[in-house]
Amino acid sequence: MSSTRTRDERRAQFEQLAMPHARSLYRTAVRSTGRAEDAHDIVQETYLRAYRTFDGFETGTNARAWLFTILYSILANRWRADRTATVEVGVDDLDARFAAALDGAGGDAEQALLTRLESAPEVHRALAALPEAYRAVVLLVDVEELSYEEASAALACPVGTVRSRLARGRRLLFTALSDYARSLRLLPSQPT
Amino acid sequence: MSDSHTHPVEALHDAIDGRLDPHERAALDRHLESCAACRREFDVLSRLKRQVGIGTRGVEIAPANLEDELRRVLDAEDRRGAERSGWAEHPNRRRLPWIAAAAAAVLAIALFLVGPRPEATPIPAEVAADFRRLTAGTLPLEVVTSDVAALEQRLATAGLGFTSRVFDFGMMDYRLTGGGRHRVAGTPSALFAYAGPGNLRLLCEMFRGLVSVLPTPVERRSNDDIEFLVYREGDITVVFWQEGEVMCALAADGDPEAAVRLAFAKAVRV
Repeated sequence: MSSTRTRDERRAQFEQLAMPHARSLYRTAVRSTGRAEDAHDIVQETYLRAYRTFDGFETGTNARAWLFTILYSILANRWRADRTATVEVGVDDLDARFAAALDGAGGDAEQALLTRLESAPEVHRALAALPEAYRAVVLLVDVEELSYEEASAALACPVGTVRSRLARGRRLLFTALSDYARSLRLLPSQPT
Repeated sequence: MSDSHTHPVEALHDAIDGRLDPHERAALDRHLESCAACRREFDVLSRLKRQVGIGTRGVEIAPANLEDELRRVLDAEDRRGAERSGWAEHPNRRRLPWIAAAAAAVLAIALFLVGPRPEATPIPAEVAADFRRLTAGTLPLEVVTSDVAALEQRLATAGLGFTSRVFDFGMMDYRLTGGGRHRVAGTPSALFAYAGPGNLRLLCEMFRGLVSVLPTPVERRSNDDIEFLVYREGDITVVFWQEGEVMCALAADGDPEAAVRLAFAKAVRV
C-alpha cells in the first residue's frame, strides 16, 4: 500500500475491500460460536484488527481469505480459552456409521431428507455439533464457497489437510442428518 | 468405503468441488462405473453440499445494520488514530490523565481475559426464569396493555434489529397483559406476557438467534413442517422454534401438551 495516501483514502480503500465480506464473516462466526452476541464481537474485532494492519495488506491479494484468517485466529484464541463451548459429535467409527447411513438412505426417502435440508434447523444444529476442525472447512468451502487454497490460508493448515477434513466433515454431517431423519421417521430405522 | 486405498475418497471430494482435471476426472468416472459404493457417496455428498449451501446462505442471520456498526468501529479507531497523531505533535501536553485511563483500560481488559467468567445460563433456563419472575410479579413490563396493536407499534420502534409480531392468544383464552423490549442470551428480545384461565400465565419472547445453539431438548415435535424443541424447567414448559433469523420461545405452566399446542398455533413457517 502506498504510504502517501491520505487517511480518508486508506479508509475508503479498506471499506471497498472489506465490507463486501462482512455478512459472510458474520455468518461463519455465528455458526462457529453459536451465539449472535459473540459473533458480533468477533466480527468487530476482525475488522478492527484488519484495519489496524491494513498497511501490510498487499493490494491485489485475496481480501476475503485475509479477513477469514483474522477471524479464525480470533476464534482459535477463544476456543483455547473455552474448551467446553460446544458439545461435539464423536468421530469414532465414522466410516462404519457413514456406510450405515448411506445404506439406510435411498430413493424417495433420501430425496425427502435432502430437500428438507433447505430449511431444517437441524442442518444448523448438525453443523454446530461438528468438531471445530471439520466444521471450519465445511463452513468455508461448502457454505462460503472458498477454494481449498483460501480455506488453507484462513485456517493456517496445508491444502491436503483441508481436503481430508472436508471429506470427513461431510461424512459426519451426512451421518448426523441421517440420524436426525430417522428420528423423524423420514428414513427407515437402522436394522439391528 | 472404509478403505481409502481402494476407494478414492479424497478424489471424490475433489470431484464434488470441481478440482479434478479432465484426465483425473475420467479416471474417477471409470472407477465410479464399477463401484456402487463410491457412486452412491459421490451422489449423496454432491447433493448434500448443494443443499447445505442453499440452506445456510439462504437464511440471512446478520443484523441489517452490520456494515453501519462496523463503520462506527472504524470511525472510533480513526478518532483514536487522530488523537495519537495529535499528541505526538504536541509532546508538552499533559498526558498523565490519558496514560492513567489507558492503563485502567488495559487492566480491565486483562482482568476480563484472565479473570473467572460466570457460566452462561442456558437459554431455556433463562426464559423459564423470566416466566417465574412474571408469575411472581417481579418482571418489569415496559408497556402494560391488553392492546395487541399498541404493543406491536411500540416494539416496531424499539430498535430490536428484527421484526417482531405480538402473538394473539385470544382464541385460546389467554389475554395480553403487556410486554416490551427485554434481553435473552445477551441480545435484545421482544417479550409478551399473557394471563389465561385459572390463573395460568404465558410468556413469549422473540430474539435474533438460531435454535441450533440450544441444548438437547427433552422432546422434539414437528408441526406444519416446523420443528419445535421442548424443555421442562420444573413445572414450566418452554418451547422454541425458528422463524427466519428469529428464535421464538413460549413458556407456560400447567399442562405441557397445552403449551406445545399453543406454540403450534402461533408458529409461522418463514
